[in-house]
Amino acid sequence: MNIHEYQAKKILSQYGIKIPKGGVAYTPLEAKRVAAKVSLTGPWVLKAQIQSGARNRGYFLEKSAGRRGGIRLIKARHNIAPQAEQMLGSTLVTVQTGPKGKIVSRLYVEAFNKVKRIFYVGLAIDRENAALTLMVAPTKNEEITRLALNHPEKILRLQLDLEGETTPEQVQRVMDFLKLPNKSARSLETLINGLHRAFLDFDMTMIEINPVGVLKNDELVALDAKISFDDNALYRHTDIVRLKDDYEASERELQAERNRFGYSEFDGSIGCIVNGDGTALAVMDLLRKQGVGTACFLNVKGGVDKDKIISGIKIIMTNPRVEGILINILGGFLRCNLIADGIIAAASEVGLNVPLVVRFEGTNKEEAKVILERSHLPIIMAETMEEAVNLLVNAVEESA
Amino acid sequence: MSILVNKQTRVVCQGITGTQATFHVRRSLDYGTNFVSGVTPGKGGEVHLGLPVFNTVKEAVKETRANASVMYVPAPYVKSALKEAVEAELDLAVCIADGVPLKDMMEIKAMLKGAKTRFIGPNSPGIITPGEARLGIFPENIHIPGHIGVVSRSSTLTYEAVLEIARVGEGQSTVVGLGDDMLIGIDFIDVLEQFQQDEDTRAIVLVGQLGGTFEEAAAAWYKSLQNPKPVIAFVAGNAIPFGHRMGYAGDVLTSGCISAQDKKDAFAEAGMIVVDNINDIHVRLAAL
Repeated sequence: MNIHEYQAKKILSQYGIKIPKGGVAYTPLEAKRVAAKVSLTGPWVLKAQIQSGARNRGYFLEKSAGRRGGIRLIKARHNIAPQAEQMLGSTLVTVQTGPKGKIVSRLYVEAFNKVKRIFYVGLAIDRENAALTLMVAPTKNEEITRLALNHPEKILRLQLDLEGETTPEQVQRVMDFLKLPNKSARSLETLINGLHRAFLDFDMTMIEINPVGVLKNDELVALDAKISFDDNALYRHTDIVRLKDDYEASERELQAERNRFGYSEFDGSIGCIVNGDGTALAVMDLLRKQGVGTACFLNVKGGVDKDKIISGIKIIMTNPRVEGILINILGGFLRCNLIADGIIAAASEVGLNVPLVVRFEGTNKEEAKVILERSHLPIIMAETMEEAVNLLVNAVEESA
Repeated sequence: MSILVNKQTRVVCQGITGTQATFHVRRSLDYGTNFVSGVTPGKGGEVHLGLPVFNTVKEAVKETRANASVMYVPAPYVKSALKEAVEAELDLAVCIADGVPLKDMMEIKAMLKGAKTRFIGPNSPGIITPGEARLGIFPENIHIPGHIGVVSRSSTLTYEAVLEIARVGEGQSTVVGLGDDMLIGIDFIDVLEQFQQDEDTRAIVLVGQLGGTFEEAAAAWYKSLQNPKPVIAFVAGNAIPFGHRMGYAGDVLTSGCISAQDKKDAFAEAGMIVVDNINDIHVRLAAL
């Protein structure tokens, strides 16, 4: 689960990390009011609150939103409301949102902080060592991704413990690596310690401060903040769950989430129901080889009941992009006959008006096949994944 | 011959009285797996599926000399269940549950350092030595005893790989599902090493996955071998468009975004046989 910048900053400020003065605005009028509260003279920064990186280099789909990006520096007070008006309700596209972009439903209005220099700080989990890793890099004029690719040696990586105790030596290493002025030491310690403890306290999977700024008095300020939480640990953080912004997800995505399904949408025309992410990817690869794109895939995972299966199938069937459906189930934990029952129930509820190819393998496979055959629905059965893809592509072509 | 589990493995089931555990342990018993006991805290003294139930793994080991565990406990309890398995010095612990918090997994990985116990999973279909032992949720009817080892980081594609082997009339020595999660117990190298040493394994099918660098590490290890057994490798995800995510920290960690093709290139460069379509595995197997 991701949260917005302003929510992330609020959490981090509870750990003593310095953030610019700011407030949330849902309307242009509110933006003006908040601006007056955070700074008398300006300048101000209007920041689109969508859960994506690279908002500054992004663009709005609507002409009415103007040509500037999702982060706007405003020098004159009278420009705040008109600029906020442009951004609110418009669709921001960044390299991380995909071409559809995300609608900006709120702004974060901040006092502009003039800084001498900036650097990147990130915390993430290193899979190989199963360890919490701190990453730090100077990012003057260079994007962190490009730096990671071309000059990984310019990024300092430090392994942090699971108790939330950053050592003074680690802080000193960061000081030396970034060549920060001595006066920044206290501030850096607070920053790293705070990030370290916040990460563990709230079961985060990523924190990114891109960038941290060094103020005139050498204090450090978090100019941005991104936080992702571990979905599997949300059960122990009910206060965090409340921060979830449902505007970020489509109705189908929400429906999938309620059922604990994995669900992703793409630009193609085939809807896939599988019971593993690997299978989803393999099916997508096979479809692409045939020149056909995937509209969405739904991973029903294991441990499901009939009702859940029905809502899963309904999610796929109600996606308007879907011109054909492929169901590929390899039953282990999941029993194929459950899926068969669900297919029939869902088809009778929402109708089956696109070709459907089903491939079952594993637990209760034969039983499931019999169930589908007896239903007399126009369902095509396949033996292998490859065959399922080929049969579906043909059926969609014929029905077009 | 096989790796990690066989007819002699004495298996205890953690969380045996649950619904899924009951369903799958019964099937594993029918399959001939040498289950000796079960554990459910608070239900010690009961008998379930004909097996004695204990409150702790320690008791189960003492009374029934269990040396491997398969756990069907829900995700929030995996950490404490594994702690018991490690403290009881089991050789192997297999975890099926999905949804184990990453912080718990980091603590589990720290716990496993220097421990005797090998941990498979979480979010794994388990491990099966066809005809001998089934620890997990595998559809057992698709498995045949034979000479091909399977190791996979994608649960359902494990079954695909197994079906491919059957298409050429071969069977499996042992099939290991490492688990689909971001943090897992043992990884490719440990299993490949065992297959490499197992006299009965002639070739290996490996299924990788996007995310992390387990595949790259396996490729580097394989390249260093003197007489490697043939490995047929597959990684899904060529068609996945990047960009649906937030932040860069993951990519920064791995020094750039790693694609499925990058992983396949690493395998090919190390001398493995790489297939672009998982349904081509049987063709390459037949050609060995």
